[in-house]
Amino acid sequence: MSFQSPVAITGIGALCAVGSNLNECMESLYAGRRKVAAPGAFSSSHGTAWPVCEMAALLPGEQEQDAEPDLLRTSRLGLAAAREALSDAGLQAADLSRLRVGVIMGTTVGSAMNNEAFYRQYRQGEHPEMAPIERYLRSNPAAAIARAFALSGPCQTVVNACSSGTDAIGLGASWIRAGLCDLVLAGGADELCRVTYNGFSSLMITDAGPCRPFDVRRRGLNLGEGAAVLVLESESLHRDWSRNERGWVLGYGSACDAYHLTAPRPDGLGLKKAIAEALSGSGRKVEDLAFVNAHGTGTPDNDRVESRVLSELMPGVPFLSTKGFTGHTLGAAGALEAAFTLACLEQARIPASIGFGCADPELPAAPVTEVTEIEGGCALSESLAFGGNNAVLILGAKRGIGCV
Amino acid sequence: MRIAIEGLGLVGGFGFGADALRNALKGNLPSPGTLRFPYGDDSIEAPAFMADTAPLDQFVTKRSLRRIDHFSRMALLGAYGALDDAGRLDSDPARLAVVVGSGYGASATTFAFLDSFIQDGDSCSSPTHFSNSVHNAAAAHISISLKATGPSLSVSQFEMSVPSALLCALQMLRENRADRVLLGGVDEACAVLGYCRQRFFGAPQGPFDPLDFGRQSAVAGEGAAFLLLSREGQGEARYGYLNDVQMGRIDQGGLRLPEKSALVLGADGHQGCGRLYQSLPIQGRAHVCHAQAYGSLPVGPAFDLAAAALSLKDDRLYPGTESLGDRSLCCLKLAEDGNFGLVSLSG
Amino acid sequence: MATVAKLKSILIEDMNLEDIAPEELNADTVLFGEGLGLDSLDAVELVVVIQKHFGVEIKDMEEGRPAFQTIGTLAAYIDEKTAA
Repeated sequence: MSFQSPVAITGIGALCAVGSNLNECMESLYAGRRKVAAPGAFSSSHGTAWPVCEMAALLPGEQEQDAEPDLLRTSRLGLAAAREALSDAGLQAADLSRLRVGVIMGTTVGSAMNNEAFYRQYRQGEHPEMAPIERYLRSNPAAAIARAFALSGPCQTVVNACSSGTDAIGLGASWIRAGLCDLVLAGGADELCRVTYNGFSSLMITDAGPCRPFDVRRRGLNLGEGAAVLVLESESLHRDWSRNERGWVLGYGSACDAYHLTAPRPDGLGLKKAIAEALSGSGRKVEDLAFVNAHGTGTPDNDRVESRVLSELMPGVPFLSTKGFTGHTLGAAGALEAAFTLACLEQARIPASIGFGCADPELPAAPVTEVTEIEGGCALSESLAFGGNNAVLILGAKRGIGCV
Repeated sequence: MRIAIEGLGLVGGFGFGADALRNALKGNLPSPGTLRFPYGDDSIEAPAFMADTAPLDQFVTKRSLRRIDHFSRMALLGAYGALDDAGRLDSDPARLAVVVGSGYGASATTFAFLDSFIQDGDSCSSPTHFSNSVHNAAAAHISISLKATGPSLSVSQFEMSVPSALLCALQMLRENRADRVLLGGVDEACAVLGYCRQRFFGAPQGPFDPLDFGRQSAVAGEGAAFLLLSREGQGEARYGYLNDVQMGRIDQGGLRLPEKSALVLGADGHQGCGRLYQSLPIQGRAHVCHAQAYGSLPVGPAFDLAAAALSLKDDRLYPGTESLGDRSLCCLKLAEDGNFGLVSLSG
Repeated sequence: MATVAKLKSILIEDMNLEDIAPEELNADTVLFGEGLGLDSLDAVELVVVIQKHFGVEIKDMEEGRPAFQTIGTLAAYIDEKTAA
């Protein structure tokens, strides 16, 4: 891909188990705090209570009386992140109504019609209330945000499994470059869900303790929940408004392994292709990268492939996984990690890769073990997904830190 | 930049292939089959346009389909059909992208996964059902089977899934991220969806007629419709060109219909959306509707694109016989929540 | 041998190997790779299938690996666990 013009990011919102907004998340990350425990919102009959990274039942801004919310939790997570991002960008409803604003959100749970209580009643030959289905039909994550803020631009929910959040930001930037929108809210959201929990347990890729990305003792992932949204701005809007940006989308690449439904390709072909595309679109070289935010789920296969590709293509570039803090938030993961990557560029340091303590002799590269100062104006964030999707973003620091 | 339509891959109640859809567009409408589902203590047999994926034998071995469910088989057949129709089964898979829209994803498998742990306990949750219930399973199976290592993208937002998927497919080609894109829509009719339809709408009121906007007459459908797309000049535009796709909200004045275009309306017999089509300013403008050929399903707009492509190829505004002349074609989908998707095509 | 026979029909049915006849399988049939061609996703499915049909739980893949060689080794593993 040829060079593409940078797209300004003027607002960020993020929430997950370790923080109800981006600042809180970053404080936890730098302090090395995490919260991993057996699920509270649901129970299961597994022999092991696989631990998760769960948020409080009430999300930021919600009151007790919202106990019967008319939206799925996934969409409410997305809305909370969108509100924070818009407020961070200093945007009011009146500003938005004059603009063509698109929404693109990644999810997995938010698009699945799998209400367990409804289905159990249906199987027993009862006539269940249709409310859960109506709620599902109202809760498409991108559509819910567009409706809440009365937005009129293109709207898309990306369902690329665990790379959805990364894809949504990359595609949102492409909408801006193509002139389809003045502003795009791009990100991802996913809630913890018993159905998904059973799914990951059945794949035998969950850790019975807090996850340990890239560690020799790693046994799998912890599921998590959360959301993140970035405000992307067109060049002309950014010039006219001349507000400070929080960073830039410099490049995006994606490619499919075309190998297996659930296993990553051992040679990392798709990931390498996605990295090459993202770098070439950004006009940056490996030497320009300050650090890499790896996918690093803590599963044996994922971390093996990723560390091989990192050591082969980006030797010496410091990297970390933030999954130890957030758990694997599926469709939100890429968006949360993009938000963290931007915050790290701003602060010129990255947190320790929590959960890593003991190097795996089989892995040619290991993540950072302490808070590490970084140099440089851009970083890479990558996601690997079910179905063999690989998606990569190159993100740039705001002017004055990097050299956009 | 215009985008060439090189091939069509279609499977639905009308059969398999472009000729089968063309036959239905000419007025030889398929008779619906039946979808059986429990209804309380009873069971109901509702009319539904069902798809048969037997022709997949032409393209892949039975063994390779071992773990692939009906939903992904329909998509796989659509994808192979489009490549075959374009004579590009040997297309360079390194530069081939796959973009799939679906309203509900693999719904039957989603519920089969729930069955696995409801019946036998959480520790007997089926990993095969779980993996195939993920919304991007169909795109993944296509990419894997074709060894397509370009971008693979799945999107899902009910009736707007296809216009939205198309938006990104066009961008992929315009940005030179791929040389060809397999763009498709797929949805299945399963028992639970049948039950929900029955609860929401009851039985269809009278014969299925999507142009009778005031009446709830929708008959469910399932299937897959795929288009093989490339940049103008890089492939034979056997079915004309896609010019543009627009999405937005009707009430915010974003919907502008191009002059001199005939309309393919995405109406599919639902009263709630019918009202919106009824209030369109389309007096005097030729408009047609093809849902009777494939049924009512969220990715109906993918079949409308295929029907428009056939109209362009044959220079005939189906189901009639009149020539398109110098008119372009626009496929317009309206959703009950007030969103629209507008795709313009020309010869 | 009863376990081998039961496993053969379960494999064909639950792992969707309908293109294979039970007579083609025996205790020495290799399950993965060049043998029956099963893969990592089948391995975790097999764990569930064995729990469902035999009540034998395989807690992780390290434990399952020696059993997951041939139909015979898997049958022996199941017999050992059910006899205990």
